[in-house]
Amino acid sequence: MNGRVLVAIALLVLAGALVFAARPHEATADERIDQITTELRCPVCQGLSVKDSTSETARQMRDLVAQRVREGKTNAEIEAEFRTAYGDWIFLSPPLSSWSGLVWLVPVAVIAAGLGLVSARLRGPGAPAPTAPSAAQVAALRERVAREEAAEG
Amino acid sequence: MVVRVAIVVALLGLVITLGLAFRRDPHDIRTGTVGKPAPAFTLQRLDGSGDVALADLSGKVVVVNFFASWCLPCTEENPALVRVYERYRSSNVVMLGVNYQESRENGLAYVRRMGMGWTTVADTDGRVALSYGVFGPPETFFIGPDGVIAGRHIGPIDEATLVTGIETLRTRAAR
Repeated sequence: MNGRVLVAIALLVLAGALVFAARPHEATADERIDQITTELRCPVCQGLSVKDSTSETARQMRDLVAQRVREGKTNAEIEAEFRTAYGDWIFLSPPLSSWSGLVWLVPVAVIAAGLGLVSARLRGPGAPAPTAPSAAQVAALRERVAREEAAEG
Repeated sequence: MVVRVAIVVALLGLVITLGLAFRRDPHDIRTGTVGKPAPAFTLQRLDGSGDVALADLSGKVVVVNFFASWCLPCTEENPALVRVYERYRSSNVVMLGVNYQESRENGLAYVRRMGMGWTTVADTDGRVALSYGVFGPPETFFIGPDGVIAGRHIGPIDEATLVTGIETLRTRAAR
């Protein structure tokens, strides 16, 4: 009995700790700067984020993001400022809501169309529906059966 | 039959897309700033003799050129800039050089060495370049008398492109 109580208490403590760790919390200024600069593309690098780049341009962009965060701007407002200057290109992941979002949608649409075509091909033209024999066919068949029975008899 | 039509449509789409993409001048990248009001700025002159505000140039055709002494293409394009500056210096066209990511001393020495008679300013923290969406020098922006960015050229610019950009804006302003 004591053992079960201890296990129950331990499970409760563990669940509480997990809930506490996973609770939604407001991102700190540093976390927000990291979030934003991870999404921004370094304009003078090859596929590097502003956060990861050591270039002078990336440093200046990080400084600007940090200043805007200190000024109380939201992430969306800061990202909009960079979008105004550089277009959607400045984001490493193009937003779905703009024309650039086609880079996400087109491959999915092409794969779906390809699967549709393959599936249609695999199913083939389909077997023709059975039709009832005509009266003449039935009469000829009966005549043939009668003939074969007479021959066997 | 359906498959063939689908393939033809897909190929046609590809050809049209590539055709449109290759028709564009790679120096004329239409990022967010073209067609919009030029971001305002006030920067200190490279020689330290006061500030220059873009707002003070309202009503004029302004050619903003981002440059740096460490940028080889900037040196290549400089003779064209000098010729165009001489051609328009007594008109309503203002050329403004914005020194990019460099110490004021180096920038000023370069300006004197290259015979750049037009106004040059220092963008020490790079904020102006970022607000214009500059990728790297040289880059040139054509701003109309209405304060709107009418065009942008990435890379070294030649005299013909400069004159065309300026004349287009002057003609538009004269109408």
